[in-house]
Amino acid sequence: MSRFNPYGDSSGGSSLAIAGADFAILAGDTRHSTGFSIDSRDQSQIADLGDGLFLTSNGFSADAKQLVDDLRTQIKWYHHNNNDHKLSISAAARTTMMLLYGKRFFPYYVNPIMIGMADDGTGAVYSFDPLGSYDREPSRAAGHASELLMPFLDNQVTFANQLDPQTGEPRKRLDLDLQTAVDLVKDAFTGAAERQVQVGDTLEIVILTKDGVDRQYYDLRRD
Amino acid sequence: MSNPSEINGGSAVAMIGKDCVAIACDLRLGLQSVTVSGDFEKIFQYGGNFVAFTGLATDVQTVSTELRQKHALYEMVEERSMEPNTAAHLVSSMLYSRRFAPWFVGPLVAGINSTTGEPYVCSFDSIGSMDVSHDFVVTGTATNQLYGMAESLYEKDMSPEQLFETISQTLLCAADRDAITGSGGLVYVIEKNGKVTKKLLKSRQD
Repeated sequence: MSRFNPYGDSSGGSSLAIAGADFAILAGDTRHSTGFSIDSRDQSQIADLGDGLFLTSNGFSADAKQLVDDLRTQIKWYHHNNNDHKLSISAAARTTMMLLYGKRFFPYYVNPIMIGMADDGTGAVYSFDPLGSYDREPSRAAGHASELLMPFLDNQVTFANQLDPQTGEPRKRLDLDLQTAVDLVKDAFTGAAERQVQVGDTLEIVILTKDGVDRQYYDLRRD
Repeated sequence: MSNPSEINGGSAVAMIGKDCVAIACDLRLGLQSVTVSGDFEKIFQYGGNFVAFTGLATDVQTVSTELRQKHALYEMVEERSMEPNTAAHLVSSMLYSRRFAPWFVGPLVAGINSTTGEPYVCSFDSIGSMDVSHDFVVTGTATNQLYGMAESLYEKDMSPEQLFETISQTLLCAADRDAITGSGGLVYVIEKNGKVTKKLLKSRQD
């Protein structure tokens, strides 16, 4: 007799986030798979939590969905208790930590990434491990292609291993402009879709600025 | 980490450019998480052919030495230099001869064919299955990271200078996201005219 396994391997492909000086980007492919079987080619994995917050959670998708429900409930109660005050991303990130660590001994099998605009107007990316350990970062990738995407982001967003051709010193950090960042996301995903079978179909990009939200879609390989 | 291919760590990558090829490896030798050496070169030269071996260090040394003997014998018997595709088939048959007790290595072959002038890169699994590529090949514990970097940085028909920059950034950034690859890098750029440039790369030492 085999024991029931509460965790499955059904999951979204991969997701990625970049923070800028006045924007934040969250992108994910729309392929959903179980093992090597494709369940759906148009399953969005980016959840709109309200209050200008967006979340992806790669890993086991049933747990990912439950985490989103938990967060929506928390945000609703926060509004009830605080005269509809908007939940800041730093508070939302701490709330996410509380929810994840609350299940310390039966964890949600997910790696969440959250984006929003911080109190000072800068774009914010927060990433978490399944138990709630979290940090604000310039960029982050999660999911099946995280190993392929992350070194590329290090190199192109934080300029890891790049030297200034004039001085020979490490290249100074500078804030990316929005178009450059969107182009990086597209390049990263077309590359990942080339080598990772669980990634493909369509790329969904959510772009967050002070003016609001923009959603863009691009085709990826469908094989 | 009982997988023999992941005990010592290490990675390599090779790329084709316009009338040139480049091959690069990291310099780390470790025992699981403990770094033992930072000057363990994984690229070996056999005439005009450059072969990188990643995997179990003892097998890297055994196979690279055995290949040295086979290469020397070939040049004596045939009285001509060995072409890269010949070297690749030699590596392949050596590995397949150990089909049921394999050497735990992941080789790459890079070179330029001396008659056609065509650049050539090829990768293998541990039992000799060949994968001849028209752009780039990767191997080692940072395989995924190398694929992610190479797939997004690589362009067709790069000059030797562009190829050096691309393969170096690919190796360095991939190594930084793999704990058992790194401790510096080594890059060979081989040009059609026979010019070979060897450069050492400094990198993070953690």
